[in-house]
Amino acid sequence: MMERRHFLKTGAALGVAAGAGGLSAPALSQGAAARTLRFVPQANLANFDPIWGTQFVVRNASMLVWDTLYGIDNTFTPRRQMVESEEVSADGRTWTFRLREGLRFHDGEPVRAADCVASLNRWAVRDGMGQMIRAIQEELVAVDDRTFRWRLRQPYPKMLLALGKNNTPIAFMMPERIARTDPFQQIAEFVGSGPMRFNRGEWVPGARATWSRFDQYVPRQEAPNWLSGGKRMLVDRVEWIIQPDPATAAAALQQGEVDWWETPLNDLLPTFRRNRNIRIEVADPLGNVGCLRFNHLHAPFNNPRIRQAVAMIVNQPDMMRAVIGDDSLWKQMNGFFTPETPNYTEAGGEILSRPRDGAAARRLLQEAGYNGEPVTMLVAQDIAWLAQMGQVANAALRSVGMNVDFVATDWGTVGARRASREPRERGGWNIFFTWFAGADCTNPASYLGLRAHGDGAWFGWPTDPGIEAGRDKWFAAANAAEEKAACEEINRAACQSLPFVPTGFFRVNQAFRSNVTGVVPGPLPWFWGVAKS
Amino acid sequence: MWAYIVRRVLATIPVMAVVALFVFSLLYIAPGDPAAVIAGDQATPEDVERIRASLGLDRPYLVRFADWVWDILNGDLGVSIFTNLPVSHMIAQRIEPTLSLCVLTLILAVSIAVPMGVVAAWKQGTVVDRAVMGFAVLGFSVPVFVVGYLLAYVFALELDWLPVQGYTPFNQGFFPWLENLILPAVALGGVYIALIARITRATMLEVLSQDYIRTARAKGVGQRGILFLHALKNAAVPIVTVVGIGLALLIGGAVVTESVFAIPGLGRLTVDAILRRDYPVIQGVVLLFSFVYVLVNLLIDLLYTLFDPRIRY
Repeated sequence: MMERRHFLKTGAALGVAAGAGGLSAPALSQGAAARTLRFVPQANLANFDPIWGTQFVVRNASMLVWDTLYGIDNTFTPRRQMVESEEVSADGRTWTFRLREGLRFHDGEPVRAADCVASLNRWAVRDGMGQMIRAIQEELVAVDDRTFRWRLRQPYPKMLLALGKNNTPIAFMMPERIARTDPFQQIAEFVGSGPMRFNRGEWVPGARATWSRFDQYVPRQEAPNWLSGGKRMLVDRVEWIIQPDPATAAAALQQGEVDWWETPLNDLLPTFRRNRNIRIEVADPLGNVGCLRFNHLHAPFNNPRIRQAVAMIVNQPDMMRAVIGDDSLWKQMNGFFTPETPNYTEAGGEILSRPRDGAAARRLLQEAGYNGEPVTMLVAQDIAWLAQMGQVANAALRSVGMNVDFVATDWGTVGARRASREPRERGGWNIFFTWFAGADCTNPASYLGLRAHGDGAWFGWPTDPGIEAGRDKWFAAANAAEEKAACEEINRAACQSLPFVPTGFFRVNQAFRSNVTGVVPGPLPWFWGVAKS
Repeated sequence: MWAYIVRRVLATIPVMAVVALFVFSLLYIAPGDPAAVIAGDQATPEDVERIRASLGLDRPYLVRFADWVWDILNGDLGVSIFTNLPVSHMIAQRIEPTLSLCVLTLILAVSIAVPMGVVAAWKQGTVVDRAVMGFAVLGFSVPVFVVGYLLAYVFALELDWLPVQGYTPFNQGFFPWLENLILPAVALGGVYIALIARITRATMLEVLSQDYIRTARAKGVGQRGILFLHALKNAAVPIVTVVGIGLALLIGGAVVTESVFAIPGLGRLTVDAILRRDYPVIQGVVLLFSFVYVLVNLLIDLLYTLFDPRIRY
């Protein structure tokens, strides 16, 4: 069979392009190709400021460029990363951090405590845990070039988790001159101290982004474990190739034009399974939590009993089979926290676990006084998971006599309209669908969907003092048992007030060429330790 | 002639002004909010509000429009809301792949479609004619993305002759450039070939029935000379018109083709910008497309004089 690289040259030999001397084709040596990892990310890298834009794709790319003070491992324990040591005062109010020696930014400058102070100041404005720390902060100062101190008015036991968590925005360390940028403005330089340098000149947003290995990076000696340990790059170059079309991405992977695809469509997996050059693995064991979100400000879902009626008929198996299909990739969740993680609990979760009961839901709707008010359901059609959830929920709500106004639109419109606090007849909404990364739902710290402090809460603005009280207890918890008890309290309250209805827990696969080794499942793609033969 | 060209160029100014007003207004009233997209799914409403304010999206319509027009008059298309890169830079990054794709498609389409149409007219009513017209119907009916997938499946996946996706700049070698563009150009060219072939055939049939063709035959001019020297030249005006009008078809088709073959061109830039509500990029690209379209129409009008000496401006 004639192979691709010979096709045109054969044509030339036959006289198709005779005399085209001087037109040359560059060729990558096998060695160079093996040192370049070509990756198809979940989405386009449209901006590159992990504090300004908190999309997961930005966070994932930022991991290459910017390092963190701490990083969680696969037991959710924060480990030292840029930090050599820390000291907390006896009253728990003063934290003193000392940086490792020899850390350098990509411009050759040493990483100083002042850089970390500026970076933390910028991060803390945008991050939920950072905002909590800011609220009790007395001072955050550089003591010397390698030491900085954070003095608080009261103890904050989750300090190391805040600095090492993987939820957006991550506390990335940047040079002071960059970190002084307003957190609501984009940075203009992409200089970090992480294992790879960003090739800004090669960045074509929507098409390609590339990184080259930073030779002066000083990895830790420990083995890599998620965000912690030695981030040793085994390739010289990482290329992100944005693929808007899944069929094209699949073909490119099969042909070896790309090495690793972060989120292949489930429909395409059978094709990959037949190809011995491709391996398929679960991308993130922490998976995703589907969400049917209510607007708690307006009728009918300002009435908790009507929310409960909906929870009684949302059938997670129906939802998940529509969304993900493969039964091995989803689980029924009878609680709000990520299944198979320490804080998962089914306390008070009977409304989610008991058999679906349309008749009971209909009765409850009547008792609650529902009299056919329209329910404006925003369903993004350009994101397959959300479109499927919407279809299933639409049928379920109609089956108990709810008057659904199904608004089929795109995610851009949902994103804007969900921010409206107006009633539905003035451009507001009653239900929309989304999903949370399971990594964000392992504890209350980053679980925005489970906040219930009214106006300050996430879209839908639920109010439930029970949830908030449980959250406060979790932050104050001194050990895992206390944390679990707090989560049980939150779960019980949430199953009553229903800030949202979980539509199921699901995982997705990733696919990569079999000559790629060292791919470790996790809440984001880790590039360190990945090699190509 | 020169006075005509100057008049036509000047006439583009009000056209572009209307396009600018229309595009800006349409985007203003369209639902969606780039601030919400930037902030991400986990952002609080307050975060979204602050980002909206920092982008200036909370300013009144007229203020925003006036600022944008003033910037354009100063040669500045603005800065992308998302990438923070100048729109002109983003367009410059993307123009080569789209231009390459369109030019190659145009060359391919014209060099295939015109002879096809001529032959079909010459062999009217025969199997050849029916085959050409059958192909034309097929070309019109099968969507570009279906043709694209089929071509990629056969020539890339099965035969391994050509790459599935991507684009190699021309300065990295002619063959790598061509390798990446053959399949997209063929996929995109299908509709175009069908359109031009049909018009060529119809126009040729009309011309071939003219008295001067009969006179030429009577004078002993050969079939080839009649077809290509006498008939085709006289049929050229409608064909050139269709080639020009078809450019809009080509630009529209490029959007799909660039997505199917992962070519980093203006089409994909436009789609990405629309999905994210990146207003400055959408506005910049639409203005550029409009300008190109107006320019191409002017060129077509000027080309008429080459083919028909009776036309004078």
